[in-house]
Amino acid sequence: MSTVSVRYIVDDVDAAIAFYRDHLGFREQMHPDPAFAMLTRGDLRLVLVAPVPAGHPGGGSRPMPDGTPQRPGGWNRFMIEVPDVAAAAEKLRAAGVRFRNEIVAGVGGKQVMIEDPSGNPVELFEPIRPEARLARQ
Amino acid sequence: MAGDPLDALRLPVVPVDPRPEFTAALHRRIEATIEGGADPGGRRDSPTVRYFVDDLELAVAFYCRQLGFEEELRSPPAFAMLYRGGLRLLLSVPGLPGAGAALSDGTVPAAGGWNRITVQVSDLGAALEALSSAGVPVRAGITRGIAVRQALIQDPSGNLVELIEPAEGYHERT
Repeated sequence: MSTVSVRYIVDDVDAAIAFYRDHLGFREQMHPDPAFAMLTRGDLRLVLVAPVPAGHPGGGSRPMPDGTPQRPGGWNRFMIEVPDVAAAAEKLRAAGVRFRNEIVAGVGGKQVMIEDPSGNPVELFEPIRPEARLARQ
Repeated sequence: MAGDPLDALRLPVVPVDPRPEFTAALHRRIEATIEGGADPGGRRDSPTVRYFVDDLELAVAFYCRQLGFEEELRSPPAFAMLYRGGLRLLLSVPGLPGAGAALSDGTVPAAGGWNRITVQVSDLGAALEALSSAGVPVRAGITRGIAVRQALIQDPSGNLVELIEPAEGYHERT
């Protein structure tokens, strides 16, 4: 089982599909319902769902049993590895993509957070040299 | 960050006494390459997700003991890297240096939200019962969706993990 699934809650599935396809290289696998789409990029499967009412047949984005609705946002995110985060960021910025922060350099590499049209974060990550990777305890 | 364990073999110096975690990661990497077939670049990125957790030790224990993740490396108190199948899960602690550091406007990342990883199980009822009796909070019990049954549990920081069980006759397509 090599496919990994991540579910993102979005306000508008069509807008999200366009974002992930046009800016991040995802491919649309299926979009059988206005509130549901499945995209893939390499081994990552991204399931995009819009909040639906309790009786909706799709189960992934219904409200909680206590009525709490599911919403986009938060800080947890999937990451996309890029060879040059500055170049990637420049291209995305020129395309009008929103950024949540500026490029920061960490122990493992450089990273920056962009946001999809619903405000969900995606992290672009540029690893530093393998020697540095292995220096980690 | 230890992206690809095979990188170690591309260095002039190969570790003489590799740690067991390294060996396991290398093994997985080789298997993934074999399963994944031709990979002209010699490199296959693991889907990677970052979760924010308030307590690194608690989180590592939760994901490894309750959900079958393997620890790849730990750099306390701010960071850990776990694997489960093809998924690489990074755990970062809000407010500490690294991915948890405050943004320039002072905003600090936080655990929680609704976006989540999914973990496939063969028997959702049994899995949920086992987790529940181990004290794991269940945010939403079993519901039936299209082609799957699913439930939502919470890690010790309140992050959601979705458990899914494919419905009878449903085969995973990749």
